[in-house]
Amino acid sequence: MKTRLTILGLAICLVFPSLARAGDKLMVAVAANYMVPFQEIRELFVKKYHIEVEQTFASTGKFYAQIIHGAPYDLFLAADEQRPKLLFDQGLATEPFIYATGRLIVWTAKADLRQAKNWQDLIKSSAVQKIAIANIENAPYATAAKIALEKVGLWDSVQGKLVFAQDVAQVFQYAHTGAVDVGFCPLSVMGNDLGQSGFYLKVDQAPPIVQAACVIKNSKHREAAEELAAFLTSAEVMAIKQRIGYE
Amino acid sequence: MDWLPLYLSAKLALVTTVILIILTAPLAYILAFCRFPGKTLVEALVNLPVVLPPTVLGFYLLIYMGPQGALGRLWEACTGTSLIFTFPGIVLASLLYSLPFAVQPMRAAFEKLDRRLLESAHILGLYPVATFFRVVLPNARGGLIASAILVFAHTLGEFGVILMVGGSIPGKTKVASIAIFEAVEALRYREAMILSLTLIPVCYLILLLVNLLNRKSAYGS
Repeated sequence: MKTRLTILGLAICLVFPSLARAGDKLMVAVAANYMVPFQEIRELFVKKYHIEVEQTFASTGKFYAQIIHGAPYDLFLAADEQRPKLLFDQGLATEPFIYATGRLIVWTAKADLRQAKNWQDLIKSSAVQKIAIANIENAPYATAAKIALEKVGLWDSVQGKLVFAQDVAQVFQYAHTGAVDVGFCPLSVMGNDLGQSGFYLKVDQAPPIVQAACVIKNSKHREAAEELAAFLTSAEVMAIKQRIGYE
Repeated sequence: MDWLPLYLSAKLALVTTVILIILTAPLAYILAFCRFPGKTLVEALVNLPVVLPPTVLGFYLLIYMGPQGALGRLWEACTGTSLIFTFPGIVLASLLYSLPFAVQPMRAAFEKLDRRLLESAHILGLYPVATFFRVVLPNARGGLIASAILVFAHTLGEFGVILMVGGSIPGKTKVASIAIFEAVEALRYREAMILSLTLIPVCYLILLLVNLLNRKSAYGS
């Protein structure tokens, strides 16, 4: 009887983990480009404020669609200004604020592409057969890449080479595994060892990617979310951001 | 409205079905009639894609079908083109993903065959290969058709593996399931709705057909 009860108890805990551990963690939706700095920021924040933080990485558009449908996030770090503003306009989020400005690069793991002088030459190189770009609708870094390619008149000629990833994290994954020759990535990929193993060129024609964040109004941890939001623009975090390639 | 993804899904399902049925008929035959050491191991291996998360399959395929991967290099050596993020690439992924759905119904049909037929064929001096084509296959037609329909339907619904190794290229690897997923994520609900509504009756008809076939083979045709 006792064992049966224990098994039942365990089963209930498995099915409803929230019973065992009430949802006391801050849930943060982070645009995939911000993965590297956010992991450091989170560590600092948890140490300082003793608030548990759980994060998910995906494209900005994906999170936007989820939040509109009531996804239980407390804070949203987007890769553009537009989506947080739309959430604010719909009364779903507090007023957005800018927490970082990112830059677009082309990244390659191929040693023979290191000779390229600028990113256009790299893209045009005959050795480049496949180019990864994130989903243009959902990922602001992909939108920026499209703008840059159009500006230099390469958009039409690269069509046959484009491979579409779900977000910039998948772009980097494709480029790093060598599945594609080049990927349009955020500069922040150079902030970890995997990024350092390759070679990059800045895409100057791409507009700087201004990234805004907002606290979700339905949040059950409004106070903690506001605290993390404020922490995002603190001097400490600024140092991390700049080291990893954000302004 | 972009209908290309639906056409691509149908094309993928059709190509996968034809190749897979041809390739796996001998395998199903061996599993049904032959005894050899390690048979249980082979059976488990064939069934692995049923239980394996598509992401596991997708992950390994991404590595092995890439330009540095063994499969990718082999393909490039043979055809001069790369394999990953291409239509042949997702066909290969689908072949692996739907393998058990091809093997199982065929194998069951082979096992139900009257052994006396095979023995007569042997006594009458028919070679094993000829027996396979002239006796086994015609008598296991129901199983073959069931396999084909299941593979077709399963490939039509394939999502996770293609998400990882497809690259969502319009007209090449952006199949219906991926197009629906992306339409939903981009809040293009009308497009998602139309694509989804087209798929539901198609899948329903397929299942209806499988049931009819099963009943037919159960009562004897």
